[in-house]
Amino acid sequence: MTVPFEAPPLSLTSPLQAEKLCVSYGRRPVLSELDIAFPREQVTAIVGPNGCGKSTLLSALARLHTPQAGRITLERRDIRSYGARELARALALLPQNVTAPEGLTAAELIRFGRQPHQSWLRQWSAEDAAVVDAALAAADLQALAHRPLEAMSGGQRQRAWIAMAIAQQTPVLLLDEPTTALDLGHAIEVFELVRDLAAEGKTVVMVLHDLGNACRYADHLVAMRDGRVVAAGPPSEIVSRELVRELYGVDCTLVTDTDTGAPLLANVRRARDIAAPGSSIS
Amino acid sequence: MNGRPRIAAGAPQRRVRLWFALLCAATLLVCVASLLFGAGAIGPLDSLDTLIRALSGHTSDDNAWFTIESLRAPRTAIGVLVGAALAVAGALLQAVTRNPLAEPGLLGVSGGATFAVAIAIALGADAASLRVPVAQFGALAGCVAVLAASRVRGAGDDPVRLVLAGAVLSGLLYALTSLILLFDERTADEIRFWVVGSFAGRRPDDVIALLPGLAVAAVVVVGIARPLAALALGEHVASGLGHRPRLVRLLVVLAVALLVGSATAIAGPIAFIGLVAPFVARGLAGPDVRTTLWLCLPIGAVLTLGADVVSRLVVRPSELPLGVLTALIGAPVLVAVVRSRRLPTL
Amino acid sequence: MTTASEHARPALAPAGSWRLPLGSARSGRSLLLDKRACVANLLLAAALWAACVASLCLGEVSITPRAAIAGLFGYGDFMDVFVVQELRWTRLLAGVLSGGAFALAGCLMQTLARNRLATPGIIGLDNGATAFAVASVLGVGLGIAPPAMALVGASVATAIAFGLAGGIGTQGYRFLVAGIGVGAAFDAITRLMLARSAIDAANAAYPWTVGSLNGVGALALNMLAIGLVIGLIGAAALARALGVVRFSEGVAQGLGIRVAHIRLGALVLSVGLTALAVAVAGPVGLIALIGPELARHLSSRRGVPLMGATLAGALLMVVADLAGRVLFSPIEIPVGLISTVVGAPVLLWILLRPGHKIGV
Repeated sequence: MTVPFEAPPLSLTSPLQAEKLCVSYGRRPVLSELDIAFPREQVTAIVGPNGCGKSTLLSALARLHTPQAGRITLERRDIRSYGARELARALALLPQNVTAPEGLTAAELIRFGRQPHQSWLRQWSAEDAAVVDAALAAADLQALAHRPLEAMSGGQRQRAWIAMAIAQQTPVLLLDEPTTALDLGHAIEVFELVRDLAAEGKTVVMVLHDLGNACRYADHLVAMRDGRVVAAGPPSEIVSRELVRELYGVDCTLVTDTDTGAPLLANVRRARDIAAPGSSIS
Repeated sequence: MNGRPRIAAGAPQRRVRLWFALLCAATLLVCVASLLFGAGAIGPLDSLDTLIRALSGHTSDDNAWFTIESLRAPRTAIGVLVGAALAVAGALLQAVTRNPLAEPGLLGVSGGATFAVAIAIALGADAASLRVPVAQFGALAGCVAVLAASRVRGAGDDPVRLVLAGAVLSGLLYALTSLILLFDERTADEIRFWVVGSFAGRRPDDVIALLPGLAVAAVVVVGIARPLAALALGEHVASGLGHRPRLVRLLVVLAVALLVGSATAIAGPIAFIGLVAPFVARGLAGPDVRTTLWLCLPIGAVLTLGADVVSRLVVRPSELPLGVLTALIGAPVLVAVVRSRRLPTL
Repeated sequence: MTTASEHARPALAPAGSWRLPLGSARSGRSLLLDKRACVANLLLAAALWAACVASLCLGEVSITPRAAIAGLFGYGDFMDVFVVQELRWTRLLAGVLSGGAFALAGCLMQTLARNRLATPGIIGLDNGATAFAVASVLGVGLGIAPPAMALVGASVATAIAFGLAGGIGTQGYRFLVAGIGVGAAFDAITRLMLARSAIDAANAAYPWTVGSLNGVGALALNMLAIGLVIGLIGAAALARALGVVRFSEGVAQGLGIRVAHIRLGALVLSVGLTALAVAVAGPVGLIALIGPELARHLSSRRGVPLMGATLAGALLMVVADLAGRVLFSPIEIPVGLISTVVGAPVLLWILLRPGHKIGV
């Protein structure tokens, strides 16, 4: 349990942090005393086995769950002090398994992203038009702007949803498993879009199922188990055989991708020499 | 449930037999109550006296005996038959659609029977003689519609969606029946009281008219109980075990149509018995359809006849439509079934 | 992106919309109107107008449109004035208002539950309102007027159905079937009360149970008119947020919508409108399903067609009532029967189309 990790000097620069965060569903604690900070203008991936609390953490960060204890700060302000629309202008969330009304086109979907900036008497402005166009361009969807979402491929549809979040013009973007149910090609479309967004100055936090993609596309990796952070830092520094075994109970051989320098998992197999995942590793 | 259906029952056989015996005793008790209480100037004590004298061989042709023999006895028989028939029909329909909410009244099978009878009477058919086969035909049509709906991809696998569709279908059929009543006063007079569900004023002949249909249904049910239990494991498993799912479904439809058609023809549409009885039976004996079917017989009879006895007593001297009481019992059970976690797994 | 607004570029309305600037261009105040929704609403309004005129003209005595409209204002032939003012006007008004209220309530509830089948009638609200209103007519109701009792009944039925199902949306269709159960129980209670009451009292209460626009009371009509105005204002205020509530809850909250508040607001409006409409027309629940369905087909998917649903509901109710009066004259078919016969196939079609989701 004691993989050592140095507390990264993030606390001063991070736009979004959680301190001593506790969240539970009914009586079952999901997150316990969790401290975490996310580096500014970088891509952070949260990984961990099923049920480790990673999606719950993301929802709590977006204020969809009320923590039982601890606090979350966004730009040094407690998120509870934000108004609903104010928060939506500072932080965008794309949950898992989103659905839209039938027949909605990509451009129409993206326009909903402008709602936090609009009001009943200010329903559409030149800025709205410009931002929607820019979001379409960022997601490379101009040619498909007026196509209904159902008529798009999975990757295009997911890009349209991310474009909606982009149109919110928030400095922080949270994505919950943005590539589940996408095949390899479509997943890469989404990951490259995410990289571009970070390069343009957004802080992106995404929950990922797949450790390999997390290593490849994240600047910063957060590994979670049983509602706690096990390790955090750049993938090349923190990913080790021991970490993989502690997280998933599997053995693997780690190699380094010669093109990107990211760690690669090879020869993944069930760990036979340990009793159960999570028992002590020395 | 495990692979061998023979030992698949959820509860030990002995306990099931005990329950069956207890329920049969309860049925007898309710029958006696049904003979003792009711409209007419004969009080319960007089009735009891008459009944005991009759059992000891002293038949008399006084007023009390007339009331019991020609008014209450057919009514009691109808209550038992209709209750058992509806309960078994509900259990069959639930097994074949694999949906614990499938109920002949909710799904429009009774509505089909009612509508068919209304049409037949409006077209000038003599009510009494034709009612049973016509109602059975209508129930058959309703049954086929339900089964077709349950096999629509995406909609049929969702137990609740099927019930919604059934509720809409029955709403439609009752609206159409009301339309016929609106246009045809003779029909309206003939079936106005029948349409709300009641056992009042039935004659012994009416009971006899039911027997052929019910007998055929009973034979069919006995024949298909085993393959039906296998069908609960899924169509492919049932085929693998050497059964023929299509044939089983066809026979179930036939049996349900005969049972519901007969029950509706004599008592009018009575909802919820087919839901409540199998629900209770499964609670007592587990999910195996063969034990459920046996237990449904006395449970349905007790529920229906019990509701009928109560309906005679609460608003004396007039009577409450039976459907009101069954709905008051059945609606909470419906909610309970929906709330239970096991909903999609039947 | 602040530079975008400093460009001298005109504010382009997005495809399919008109932008109405309010005040100077600098203030940026504007309304955005959906072209297709506007056209749909105009069409529906025109159809409603035609149906209203037809409803005033046709019946056991037919009069010309010109005479009917003149008669409405007290001019023209004495008989025409009597027929129009005394017999047909109140009935028409009741049809327009109750149809609009039913459909608006249906559209609100479908949207807040994110399910096209979730209409007040299906979850037993109509029956709850009817049971309490009948109790009031029969004198069980503590002296409260039927419309007010209908409000109480609708609220009780809603609370029970939602309480039993443990919330909306999350439980899929469960709360719909819980609602069917609640509706069946309330229906049984209504029939129980009718069976126990004296024959003349039962006759007075009977129109409540079938759904008919015959013999509408002035109090109920006034309350409905006020309720519909409040409902439309409330719906307009909620409309933009409701457009987002159609998405999943996380998305809506991420866009800065207080989903729970919006849902509660829409629910309160929906319950109130349904109860007041039931107090006028009886349980004609399927209007709440077909009205929004029609509006959704005519209008665009960009917004929630609240206005369109209201107009469509009014139109359907007036047409159904007219058909019930005229088709088989002198026999009058209650509007509740007509709406069931027409609405049920629509509902079955929604339910049983293979492979279709039932969103909003």
